[in-house]
Amino acid sequence: MRNRFILLFIAMLVLVTSLMYATRDYIIIGTTDKIRSLDPARCYDYFSSNILQNVLSGFVDYEIGTTNLKPWLAEKWEISNDGKVYTFYLRKDATFEDGTPITAQVMKYSFDRVIKLNGDPAFLLSDIVDKTEVIDKYIFRVHLKYPFSAFLSVLGYTVAYPVNPKVYPEDSFYELAPSASGPYRIKEWIRDVRIVLEANPKYFGEKPKTKTIIINFYENASTLRLALETGEIDVAYRDLDPRDILEIEKDPRFVVYKGESPQIRYIVFNVKQKPFDDPNVRTGLAYAVDRNMIANEVFVGLVKPLYSMVPMGMWSHEDVFPKRDLEKAKEYLSQAGYDENNPLKIDFWYTPTHYGSTEADVAQIIKESLEETGVIKVTIKYAEWATYVDYFLNGTMGMFLLGWYPDYLDPDDYVWPFLSISGAKSLGSFYENQEVENLMVEARKSSDVEERTKIYKKVQEILVKDKPYVPLWQGVAICIAKPEIKGIVLEPTQIFRYYTLYSK
Amino acid sequence: MSLKNYILTRIFLAIPMIIILLAFIFLILRIIPGDPVLAMLGGKAPKEVIEQKRHELGLDKPLVVQFLNYFFGLFKGDFGKSTLTGRPVLDELKERFPATVELTLFAFIIAILIGIFGGTEAAKQKDKAPDVLARFFAIFMYAIPIFWLGLMFQLLFGVTLRWLPVAGRLSPAIQFKPITGLYIIDSLITGNWKAFVDVIKHLLMPGTALGLVISSIFLRMVRNNMVLVLSKDFIKAAIARGIENKNVLYKHALKNALVPIMTVMGLQLALLLAGAVLTETTFSWPGLGSYLVLKIRYRDFPAIQGAVVFFAIIVVIISIFVDIINAIVDPRVRY
Repeated sequence: MRNRFILLFIAMLVLVTSLMYATRDYIIIGTTDKIRSLDPARCYDYFSSNILQNVLSGFVDYEIGTTNLKPWLAEKWEISNDGKVYTFYLRKDATFEDGTPITAQVMKYSFDRVIKLNGDPAFLLSDIVDKTEVIDKYIFRVHLKYPFSAFLSVLGYTVAYPVNPKVYPEDSFYELAPSASGPYRIKEWIRDVRIVLEANPKYFGEKPKTKTIIINFYENASTLRLALETGEIDVAYRDLDPRDILEIEKDPRFVVYKGESPQIRYIVFNVKQKPFDDPNVRTGLAYAVDRNMIANEVFVGLVKPLYSMVPMGMWSHEDVFPKRDLEKAKEYLSQAGYDENNPLKIDFWYTPTHYGSTEADVAQIIKESLEETGVIKVTIKYAEWATYVDYFLNGTMGMFLLGWYPDYLDPDDYVWPFLSISGAKSLGSFYENQEVENLMVEARKSSDVEERTKIYKKVQEILVKDKPYVPLWQGVAICIAKPEIKGIVLEPTQIFRYYTLYSK
Repeated sequence: MSLKNYILTRIFLAIPMIIILLAFIFLILRIIPGDPVLAMLGGKAPKEVIEQKRHELGLDKPLVVQFLNYFFGLFKGDFGKSTLTGRPVLDELKERFPATVELTLFAFIIAILIGIFGGTEAAKQKDKAPDVLARFFAIFMYAIPIFWLGLMFQLLFGVTLRWLPVAGRLSPAIQFKPITGLYIIDSLITGNWKAFVDVIKHLLMPGTALGLVISSIFLRMVRNNMVLVLSKDFIKAAIARGIENKNVLYKHALKNALVPIMTVMGLQLALLLAGAVLTETTFSWPGLGSYLVLKIRYRDFPAIQGAVVFFAIIVVIISIFVDIINAIVDPRVRY
């Protein structure tokens, strides 16, 4: 009797599990990232934006797998000859999940709200936008303060996504789950535990391939890896330790996807601080840095050395920085008055957690590669992120590691924040060069890619001449999944689209 | 002094203590370099934007003004808003606290069971093999870093044996709706047995790891106190009167040995509630400990202050509770 009961139980268990797998219409993604805010007026971190990119819709989207813009909520647009007025013609079938239509009025409400609330990403709009105007129910116009050719790319970011006026209050941030207008809607959200997305029946575009996406949050890379190993999650996205990735690559139970990342890493020199105010010192150091060693040793070959601030794969990129050359390094340093008997003594700073656990190793390798010249003595120093920021804004640090993640995909976002006088101040390099500033303003006015490319090439030449920054490497986007999970596209835009995923 | 008066005095005295603590943490946060605006926007937004945001948060006001503003807000029950998420700190604490309570109580029960039974048995067989073993276990557990023990558990029970989930409070695919935030209770209320089993499975590893580590403190205390009590005359008398060994041990001796231990246990529980930080980060447990770690990284002043005040209040409440229980257990205790 008892045996029969056990047999029956096992049979039922098998049946239930097989049913579960047969009707699997969900995919589980694990991450160490966090959601801070799902209000586009406040959201300014990678993962929150990424959720919004899957549950909301914007004026423009990127063609899958590229950085080319395509119409989304805006069917078409016109740009005035002076480059200051943008008129958008909106599609008429777009609504939020409660049925509220997305009209020009909604667009105006959302734009004005972002600027009024002045949240973290608001400056991206308020710096450029002069005023907004409703021309017709479905025609929306934006007047810019100055011609800005990268404006459409800014509209591709979540800050410009419209919000439902019936849900999002005008004068305060909204901290609950957003009213969806994109491929997915939020079914359940337990903060820092999980978020469950399900296909939004009101979405005007293509239906998601998988009905439900569950995102589970983990505290650190090691737990994320364990969750992957135990099969608790189907996909691990952001972030695993590079060495773990190398091991997982050999494991047939998983597939490792690698994609371009627009993130760049670099050294900043405070050009107002001795001895880094001497261009010869900066050049000498730039020649001595060993990028290959960082890429191969720390990142086990996952990242690529970078020789310009404009990343590889983006138009106008040129490998302007010189390759490693210790003789040249010594030559420049001797011109600055340093040799074996009178070595250059410098402090070199990094921050231990903000860029992941690999940062200390990076700093160590840079120290070694500089000291290999025999004429440099490096002292490594570090500070936690909030302290670090304080230090570089105050000009305390002379040479330090930093990283950049673009707000919009345009070369402008890789030169203006670095080389403009105001930008350089907020990155701690305090670089000032009116010539380069004028060139960048000129490029902002032009919407001709060819003309802009020429200008950005000139800008990069000045960058390498003055070297307030030394580019080191370009990041890589990594995603690990079970082999049966298909449809993963690691976009150059970094938008991780859940609606293309499916389980085979 | 009656017990009632004593408790009132305790509460009265706790208020200045909490204020001093608050002032202290308030000051420390503002002395160390970095602030929430820098942590969030540093290196991204133009300097003017950063200055403006500081102004909005009142960070450019004199320290005294900032403190008084915050302090009077607290009296109205306003813990401020998190600078990281923009949500009221109190809401966030309420969300995180049940997770910590669940983990802590579970660990505490395990620790008490091991501590009391292990300690009593060790005392009974003083200097014999079980006692030596128990002492070794206590020292070993006391010395072991919890994150290491946690990792080993994860490797063994999670990856190799696949018995238990490695992290979090709930499996991703389990349907569940939190009500009280104590998932065990929530799953029982809703009759969601699948979730109940899942929640217990998730609780087992972090709870046991934490429980083992604190059990070492209890075990040693129970053992030492029991050894002391067992050598007393009244125990010898009890044995001489022919009372069963087990009764002597657990009824007569343990009750006497427990009084000083209770105080320690109470405080230990309070400390645990104040965030079993390492356990929570190791097991991705979304409680107050991991909350505090996250908030410190981003210099989320209101959240850190709120959490600290919250902890302080818990410690006060529990220590008063312990005093009451002590008075009940030991009639000799008078305040």
